[in-house]
Amino acid sequence: MTVPRKANRNGIKDKDFELVRAINSGHFDRFEDLVKRYEQKLYNFSLRMCRNAADAEDAVQETFLNVFRYLKGFRYETKFKNWLYRVAASTCLKKRRKSKFAPERELSLDEFFLQDEAEIPDQVPKWALMPLQKLLNDELLDKINEAIFTLPEKYRLVIVLRDIEGFSTAETAQILNLSDANVKVRLHRARLFLRDRLKGYFENE
Amino acid sequence: MNKEQHDHKHCLELFEKLSEYLDDELDEVTCKDIEKHIKECVPCFVCLQTLKRTVDLCKQAGNRPVPEDFSKKLREAIQNMPKSPPAR
Repeated sequence: MTVPRKANRNGIKDKDFELVRAINSGHFDRFEDLVKRYEQKLYNFSLRMCRNAADAEDAVQETFLNVFRYLKGFRYETKFKNWLYRVAASTCLKKRRKSKFAPERELSLDEFFLQDEAEIPDQVPKWALMPLQKLLNDELLDKINEAIFTLPEKYRLVIVLRDIEGFSTAETAQILNLSDANVKVRLHRARLFLRDRLKGYFENE
Repeated sequence: MNKEQHDHKHCLELFEKLSEYLDDELDEVTCKDIEKHIKECVPCFVCLQTLKRTVDLCKQAGNRPVPEDFSKKLREAIQNMPKSPPAR
């Protein structure tokens, strides 16, 4: 049976608050529980943002060390996970390197909107119709991850937080210090970019 | 509506909102407008379906395991931190 979590005075229910309070009241050994809870998630988030394993490892370590240093200052005004990802995102952005695979550029809607009649599809392609589980395989997962790597950083951050990490629009906006509208615009362009990559992959299969 | 009759202006207006539609972030009127439009416009219907599939696939991107060596190194670094974190 799960015990319903009580909302704190800010109206936030968070499974991590109890653990954070325990650490902040001197049970530093419980920090290990926090590491166990988020290590894999942060490692994969950092890998997607830094693109290289060594930088991702550095980013995860710096994130946890910063969390350890500044946890006392956590105000319980947001979910702990949102605060954690804010620290992680800013750590990854500091580690950024210029990449020829994902040059920083604006994605415009026009580049994804088909106007050429010859290119406009007249039926839904098979890859968008067949059951997801039949479609999925390791090669396709590699392609998806490669396509994510090639997204310009500001779009990649948003799609990773929204569609992979599962944060809401409002949470993503809070983590990245953006407006909700800005998150929506970046997410839509990021998805269209990935869709074009997937379309290219399936057409050339 | 076939592709020759594809009304770019209206299609482009709705095209901008397809992610919000998939995320259930639009008001009822706009949702109904999109639903009506995609029933009549094959290119926009295809666009919505391929976008939806892209989002579904993205959600399956998966996670790699954390390398054991790194996991050990991380714990050592945390162990070496001073045990009274600063207040802010």
